[in-house]
Amino acid sequence: MIKVKNLKKIYNGNAVLKDVNAVIEKGEVISIIGPSGTGKSTFLRCLNLLEQPDGGEIWIDGKNILDAKTDITAIRRKMGMVFQSFNLFGHLTVLENIAMAPVSLLKKSKAEAEAKAMELLKLVGLAGKANALPQELSGGQQQRIAIARALAMEPEIILFDEPTSALDPTMVNEVLSVMRNLAKTGITMLIVTHEMRFARDVSTRIFYMDEGVVYESGPAKELFENPARPKTKAFLRRIDMLNFNLSKADFDLYHFQSQVVEFAEKQMLDGKQIKALYSVLEELLINVVFPEINKIDLEIGISEETKTTELCLKWQGKTANPLDSGSPSGELARMIIRKRSKTIEFTTPDNNNSQLAITL
Amino acid sequence: MEVKFNKQDSTLTVAISGNIDTVTAPELDTKLQENLSGIKDLILDFAAVDYISSAGLRVILMANQQLEDADGTMTIKNANDDVRDVFEMTGFDSLLNLD
Repeated sequence: MIKVKNLKKIYNGNAVLKDVNAVIEKGEVISIIGPSGTGKSTFLRCLNLLEQPDGGEIWIDGKNILDAKTDITAIRRKMGMVFQSFNLFGHLTVLENIAMAPVSLLKKSKAEAEAKAMELLKLVGLAGKANALPQELSGGQQQRIAIARALAMEPEIILFDEPTSALDPTMVNEVLSVMRNLAKTGITMLIVTHEMRFARDVSTRIFYMDEGVVYESGPAKELFENPARPKTKAFLRRIDMLNFNLSKADFDLYHFQSQVVEFAEKQMLDGKQIKALYSVLEELLINVVFPEINKIDLEIGISEETKTTELCLKWQGKTANPLDSGSPSGELARMIIRKRSKTIEFTTPDNNNSQLAITL
Repeated sequence: MEVKFNKQDSTLTVAISGNIDTVTAPELDTKLQENLSGIKDLILDFAAVDYISSAGLRVILMANQQLEDADGTMTIKNANDDVRDVFEMTGFDSLLNLD
């Protein structure tokens, strides 16, 4: 359905896309992942010629869309696009936003276009908002309307350019849920996303983009579980970190917990995982560490992909593992920490420094 | 954390809501101690308890011990799955009467 050969795009002398090659079959759901600035969005925008490529070929249904003789408008109608910002018309109702393009471009009657728009609003779970104005809706709802609007043009391919990046974390799931359902309908989807769990769940294949090329591609499960190339491995292992310098004298448990919970929610840990995390931290700091050590550095890392949480405590002075022994009153705490942890590793990099690493 | 008491003869029902953690456990301990005299049946209603830490477990263990010493019984009702997990990982599920 889509064949890309040696695609190039250069901005101000900088080759964002150096040599992109890809084949996408009808009905595939492709998630495009990779670090920022590696040309993921540019690749998507080249596919519908929002960006003019500087070289290469893009074939859609057997037609090279970079050929001057190709009817670009007809090709573009095959493709819908959903952007990071929703770009809805603020002065039009939700229904009008969705029905406008089918009337003006597909020459549908107003009644037909509005009936289809109502169907699509049901599909994205917003049938009750047909007469609302976009500004009366949350960001998540506006993005669901933007998806309905793209679908109203009956595209064969739909391109999503980081559709959840501009949303408050609490609204990401409602949009991903609509996209999950859409993926089951057989429409061809290309999605630039940072939502790794979603990409893994819905995609037939993943493109990992780096160095201006599709650096590695493969079925979602295979690529996430066994990435073959070094940069893919490094990217998928990437974890987000939160650091603290904690002192027993001025430690405020509730203030600390609120920072940890906010961070964990941003990393999309579920309620049970968050509770386990702050349970271990409360037991560790209050009942195991602070009775013996006055100051520690704590690093909390959460893997974006696996949601595995890593705790790393470092301190100077006492060089014995506080989880091995301690006051009898700390035994319950040590028991809870051990039961909740996957791995516990105590090391002493030198005679005066200790490090305790815990994986949950 | 909020604690509500309902005493009928020698039975005391204590409805606790919120988290029983390092900060709130001493308060629970104090309130229980103020009300345990003469009690033979202590019922702790955990329906609204979201979370318990080892500090909370110690308070419950002490209350249980006091009731046993007075030939009474302590029962914990309506604990949610997260709290039950903590009871299981610390062996409290075999020490306490869980309803």
